[in-house]
Amino acid sequence: MNRRPGALVYGLLAAFVVGSALPLYWSFMIGSHTRERALDTPPPLLPGGHFLDNAGRVLNTIDFWQAMLNSLIVSTVCATSVVFFSTLAGYSFAKLRFRGSSPLMGFVVMTMAVPTQLAIVPLFILMRDYRLLDTLAAVALPTLVTAFGVFFMRQYLVDAVPDELIEAARMDGCSMIRTFWTVAVPAARPAMAILFLFTFMQVWTDYMWPLVALQKTETLQIALDRLALTGQGQSTDYALLLAGTAMATVPLLVLFVLTGRQLVTGIMQGALKG
Amino acid sequence: MATVTFEKAQRWYAGADTAAVPGIDLEIRDGEFMVLVGPSGCGKSTTLRMLAGLEAVDGGKILLGDRDITTVPPKDRDIAMVFQNYALYPHMTVADNMAFALKMAKVPVAERRKRVAEAARILGLEDYLGRKPKALSGGQRQRVAMGRAIVRSPQVFCMDEPLSNLDAKMRVQTRTDIARLQADLGVTTVYVTHDQVEAMTMGDRVAVMKDGLLQQVDTPLNLYDRPVNLFVAGFIGSPQMNLLEATAVDGRAAIGDYLVPVDPTAAQKMRGAVTVGVRPESWRIVSDAEGGLPVRVTVVEELGADSFVYGTSGVEGTPANIIVRIAARDQVHRGDVLHVTTDPADVHVFDTETGERLSA
Ligand SMILES: Nc1ncnc2c1ncn2[C@@H]1O[C@H](COP(=O)(O)OP(=O)(O)OP(=O)(O)O)[C@@H](O)[C@H]1O
Ligand SMILES: [Mg+2]
Repeated sequence: MNRRPGALVYGLLAAFVVGSALPLYWSFMIGSHTRERALDTPPPLLPGGHFLDNAGRVLNTIDFWQAMLNSLIVSTVCATSVVFFSTLAGYSFAKLRFRGSSPLMGFVVMTMAVPTQLAIVPLFILMRDYRLLDTLAAVALPTLVTAFGVFFMRQYLVDAVPDELIEAARMDGCSMIRTFWTVAVPAARPAMAILFLFTFMQVWTDYMWPLVALQKTETLQIALDRLALTGQGQSTDYALLLAGTAMATVPLLVLFVLTGRQLVTGIMQGALKG
Repeated sequence: MATVTFEKAQRWYAGADTAAVPGIDLEIRDGEFMVLVGPSGCGKSTTLRMLAGLEAVDGGKILLGDRDITTVPPKDRDIAMVFQNYALYPHMTVADNMAFALKMAKVPVAERRKRVAEAARILGLEDYLGRKPKALSGGQRQRVAMGRAIVRSPQVFCMDEPLSNLDAKMRVQTRTDIARLQADLGVTTVYVTHDQVEAMTMGDRVAVMKDGLLQQVDTPLNLYDRPVNLFVAGFIGSPQMNLLEATAVDGRAAIGDYLVPVDPTAAQKMRGAVTVGVRPESWRIVSDAEGGLPVRVTVVEELGADSFVYGTSGVEGTPANIIVRIAARDQVHRGDVLHVTTDPADVHVFDTETGERLSA
């Protein structure tokens, strides 16, 4: 079973990699040219030597570090919370027998069908009433647990944790929560890594909700947005904007490199289980 | 050490229209190796799991010694279970797997180490204590599962088909290992299997189940020699007992022209349609002149020590295969017609309708 993939597969994979990496390359490349050069037609294709200049201008224009810190806080809190609650809830739905389990799961899945935009106004009113507007808490609260996370962990844990193992833990004297820690969490680890990354990325790149919930406080996406408006009568300063964008992507890249191994084993395990 | 008593213990799964186990009465003696055997879906696992506390008891009682454990949570029953798929914690080493229950019970570390070392010695697992389960062979995993039960020194072992994931050869070896271990430790054991050979070779006593009901509880030899009904007669023994349909005529059972001699008790009780059971080794080959049941040989299985002859008699009511055990060097060939008969003491007579045993 060690068939090597053919040229076609390699070709497709290569195209996919190029397609995924291109936007990243593009923002770095444009971000490394002067403002004027960035607007040339045809556009430059190779990086220039002005990235540090542009980065400096970004730091002068917006409070980049504060915005990045805010984004880091919100994303980390949300991702951690989603992983924690989804694993607990997913395990309960997957393995515990309780009344109303399936209708409740059905309801959770149904909420995924509601578009997020629809929730923005009610959420705004809610945050206003709780006097949370313009705080990071307002940004994080709606994403502390997600229907997708619960669904994802449930699907994973149904197969990943054999019932016998749970029974063995019960016979060995584990309480329900202890069974969760000894049996479910070790099995769920790869899926937890994926869910963490996924949620982190989702919150990191979210634009719409922070824009509504915040005024003076800024997350990275909001701050970057301000970069786009600094042209003042002239056309947008793409070099500046894309340099900022490239800088904002760095933490995500670091995170992926750090957790990459976990992620790959996770995906592989899923594959083996079919 | 303890006895186990089921008193009309019932299990009715939610949503099922009949009880999986309608009410089982069974007494297991102190230190006894009791095997529950029966076809798939007959309720063996359900019965065992009620004892272990993994399945709720919907009626009746279960006693451990004098203690009523019907509603006691599994961990407080002092019962250890060996699972079919071993259920080892994949992220823990062999030693940690074995020690885990003790850790949960807050046994001091030194004591835990001692008990794990002792169990590892008994099971020959000393070299594997640091490994994770996935780096073990099936047989080794099985032994770790046993070890996990042993270290707790419980009052009862429950085992649900613990050998079914091993290959045939390992199964035979492990079978004897488990039986010997149980005899050495003297711990009351309830063992579930669907394999009647396993049941016969391992059990002090064997409980045969069908559709949630106990059919017969007895020593292996008694089950073999005096099955109480048609089901047990057909289930115990390999190859199967020959079951022939006959008609009661003047204290004899007639199969076509052949009159089977039966014991006096059966002769008195039987009326109308009866089923006659004869074990393959109970047939005698006789000359054509002496009569007997004619069997046309279709297959001869030579096993070395003895041979099994499969044949048909063509008489109405006889099964497609009549099985006769013969000495290995007897010259019998395909297409031959044998005449076989048997002795009254070796004939099991059953009422065809109720399946009840009529012979003494
Ligand atoms: N969780 C369950 N819910 C509903 N019905 C069940 C459940 N578990 C078992 N049953 C039913 O109860 C009956 C007895 O099942 P049990 O598992 O005890 O059989 P078994 O004798 O162990 O069979 P096998 O040899 O196949 O393991 C079967 O008819 C089965 O379909
Ligand atoms: Mg079973």
